Amino acid sequence: MPKSRQMTLAAVLILLPFLSFAHDVTSADQALLSQGGLMAYIRVGATHMLTGYDHLLFLTGVVFYLRSFKDILKFISVFTLGHCVTLIGATYLGISANEYLVDAVIALSVLYKGLENLDSFQRIGIKTPNLLLMVGFFGLIHGFGLSTRLQSFETGSDEFLSKILCFNLGVEIGQVLALIPIVFMISLSRKRTQYQAFYKAVNWYLVIAGLGLFLYQIYQYFLTS
Amino acid sequence: MRRPCILLLLVLLLCSHDLYLKMETYFVPEQSAVSLQLYNGTFEKSENTITRDRMLDASIVSHGERKAIISSAWQDLDSTITQVNFNTGESGTYVAGVSTKARNIKLSADKFNDYLTHDGVLDMLAARKQAGKMKQDAVESYQKHVKAIYQVGEKRTDDWKTKLGYPIEFVPQSNPYDAYTGDHIRIQLLHEGQALPDQLVYADYVPSGHQHQEKSGENHDHTHNNELGDHHHDHVGDAGQHGHSHENMEDENSNHTHTEGQQLRTDAEGMLSLHLPHDGIYYLRTIYMTEAKDVDSLTHRSKWATLTFETTHRHDDTTHDHDHNHEDEGIPTWWFVVGSIVAILLLFMLFSKKSTNA
Repeated sequence: MPKSRQMTLAAVLILLPFLSFAHDVTSADQALLSQGGLMAYIRVGATHMLTGYDHLLFLTGVVFYLRSFKDILKFISVFTLGHCVTLIGATYLGISANEYLVDAVIALSVLYKGLENLDSFQRIGIKTPNLLLMVGFFGLIHGFGLSTRLQSFETGSDEFLSKILCFNLGVEIGQVLALIPIVFMISLSRKRTQYQAFYKAVNWYLVIAGLGLFLYQIYQYFLTS
Repeated sequence: MRRPCILLLLVLLLCSHDLYLKMETYFVPEQSAVSLQLYNGTFEKSENTITRDRMLDASIVSHGERKAIISSAWQDLDSTITQVNFNTGESGTYVAGVSTKARNIKLSADKFNDYLTHDGVLDMLAARKQAGKMKQDAVESYQKHVKAIYQVGEKRTDDWKTKLGYPIEFVPQSNPYDAYTGDHIRIQLLHEGQALPDQLVYADYVPSGHQHQEKSGENHDHTHNNELGDHHHDHVGDAGQHGHSHENMEDENSNHTHTEGQQLRTDAEGMLSLHLPHDGIYYLRTIYMTEAKDVDSLTHRSKWATLTFETTHRHDDTTHDHDHNHEDEGIPTWWFVVGSIVAILLLFMLFSKKSTNA
């Protein structure tokens, strides 16, 4: 079998497990949160990260750019810090915004990362912003999106902070679980001769998906407002 | 920050409380865990729990059988929401109901008039004006009786027509789950088992999958409810101290009202025709108020009724799983994953070909 086919087959096989998470969960989640105590918040947080394709696409874009494990750890830590701040802070303070608008900005982060990975800014003569700073900034936005989602549940006010922290913990667990196959897949692809084609394909896909998601969220915003 | 909080506190203190039986979605799978919540406030936000001793009846009807929800099954989610968790049974159309004891409240004339205005008890307001009683204080006995009709699985059963025997209740004339978006449904209002004619009813809806936050992004201070504690509207018989009405200040600042949506009036047979223009959870409310002429301790009696159910569009009946939620409104995740793989594969082949040609 040609190597390019092996690589695409690997990509498909690695992504297939995500299908198991791809079920509609919100109603079940609400029932779970109502009955399951703090553990339920961890579970729902993890589920939302694993089924939140916009978060996963952004993480894929971030990891694709990085080569060493140390860099991955550094950038993911900054992203995690960013989303923790807004997830915990905004939820605790009850700050929310229209979810479609927040998701639209998250979609822009995916678009941005794809363009950056393709050196698009350099090509048009724009200095690329500091990546670490941008990852931290988008971490804040993603956290706000997660907070908006958490606030859409009926959580009650008892043990409120604990519930937020447990949801946050679940998000981190979900993020780690999502990163394992993503990092594995990207590391595997780097050893292949067709890596450049794969790199371009994934990052162009991020551009297309980011733009598509952005337009979709804006459309939904105008549809519902 | 402090000023809006005080303002919100005032709003909560001053507004009256409808009671609704609310579910995340009224389309639920068979044998699945669900929560039935009592919302005491507005349909969007509950502000008080319901103490068990207030409940005269709490029951669920399915397959011709009425089962009581035992008092101990109810839990307070926090200081604002009372709920019961249970597993749905076999497929069918279910009816849940809660009836509460009567309680009294004493209100100044102004507050009573404001409450009548903002809660849409317009017939009594007109009667007070006509009789020159606008300056008379009121002592009102009120009681609340609420129903929800939900669909478990796909099979429609006849329990939707069950009369729970509450002092006032809405009874649909056809299964709400045989009605679809764009349809009308006829609903009868009964008072003491008899048709209640010429009664104002308000109906509104929230979109399906609607969650518990205001779309506008309004801040949601989780501490307010605790701060309020027992200070408002969960009346404990000590009439006179608690606001039951909307004051002008509140209205100016919050546009809070209980009369949004469709305003309907029952005909001579107590019937009304409710339009279902959009997918969503519909809720009807009415307050039937009379003057209490038989006792000196009261001036008025009111009986509050609500009914909730959900409507979806016609073709969905055969194509979706009735699990209404955020994901239903968005792109299903598995579509996205499959689409992503296909798109990446196509792009990969394209760039591979390009690099080979180069």
